[in-house]
Amino acid sequence: MSQSLRSARYYNRGLWSRLVEGLRYGGGVGQWAWLIHRVSGLGILLYLFAHIVDTFFVVINPAWYDHTMNLYGGHVSGSYFWPIRWAFRLGELGLIACVLFHSINGIRVVLLDLWPKGVRYQKGLFQIVVIAFWVIMIPVAIWVILPLFSPPPEHSTPEPEQGTTSVMVR
Amino acid sequence: MKGAKVARSSQGRRVKPGGGFELGMWYFMRISGLVLVLLALGHLFVVHILFNVEVINYAFVADRWTKPGSGFFWRLWDLTMVVLAVIHGLNGLRQVLDEYVTRPGRRLALHTVIWTAAVFLVGIGSYAILMFEKDHEYIKRHPRKDQAPVAAVTVAPDR
Repeated sequence: MSQSLRSARYYNRGLWSRLVEGLRYGGGVGQWAWLIHRVSGLGILLYLFAHIVDTFFVVINPAWYDHTMNLYGGHVSGSYFWPIRWAFRLGELGLIACVLFHSINGIRVVLLDLWPKGVRYQKGLFQIVVIAFWVIMIPVAIWVILPLFSPPPEHSTPEPEQGTTSVMVR
Repeated sequence: MKGAKVARSSQGRRVKPGGGFELGMWYFMRISGLVLVLLALGHLFVVHILFNVEVINYAFVADRWTKPGSGFFWRLWDLTMVVLAVIHGLNGLRQVLDEYVTRPGRRLALHTVIWTAAVFLVGIGSYAILMFEKDHEYIKRHPRKDQAPVAAVTVAPDR
């Protein structure tokens, strides 16, 4: 592999140049796979943080949870805003894309660890990853985006109620 | 190379560590990763494809976690997923940031923040999954959206 012949690289001083140097294209298909794997992983982690906190509302106050979930559908304080609904849907699609790519490429990483000689076919393996990603992603994207063109389902936005806040201390 | 030499980049190489904590984490990332492929993709399939985020509300979660038979299964699924995902994700973040943060003092501070966040997230995540109890009164007033027409009629007299 040509990468192993390359001498060690060093970052310049300063946070920005470190970031740019760290993202620099450094050799072949593997570098792109590595970069997308890293960025998608960080994206999933950001969402995971929000998702654990919003799910925790389930044991604190059911109305808070329903409020948060209504926001996904574009309902804020009893009014409907279509751009919010679209934004959350597109974000949902981005999340699915991140998890899907990270999963398929992660399998490739593990495969190469178990079978080091597979590095010889790494270009082909990455092409398989990209093809598998799009084969799954395109129908999923259609399935997730289509409901946006029909009006949102009937909803009731419950106001946070006094008294349910103490659900935790039963 | 111009400028002062500060830190070496991994340049996209995933090198197996020699031993100790880092080797343990190397194995953990691969094993938890493979388990999470199943758990996370399965979770996305159920929530986003079979159902739809717009029908998910408190009553939906309550059914999922408390239905006799399947409730235990989904709680176990979600608990495994939250523990593995938080450790896998935050250890990944640590590995990324360790390439940028090289001074020992700053690394110590960074690792402290990251592992505190991990304990916090695993804590509230597993608390929600394990301690969940259905609020029947609330569900009567706000039933599931995907079964709304039937449920609304049956609960109406109770109001």
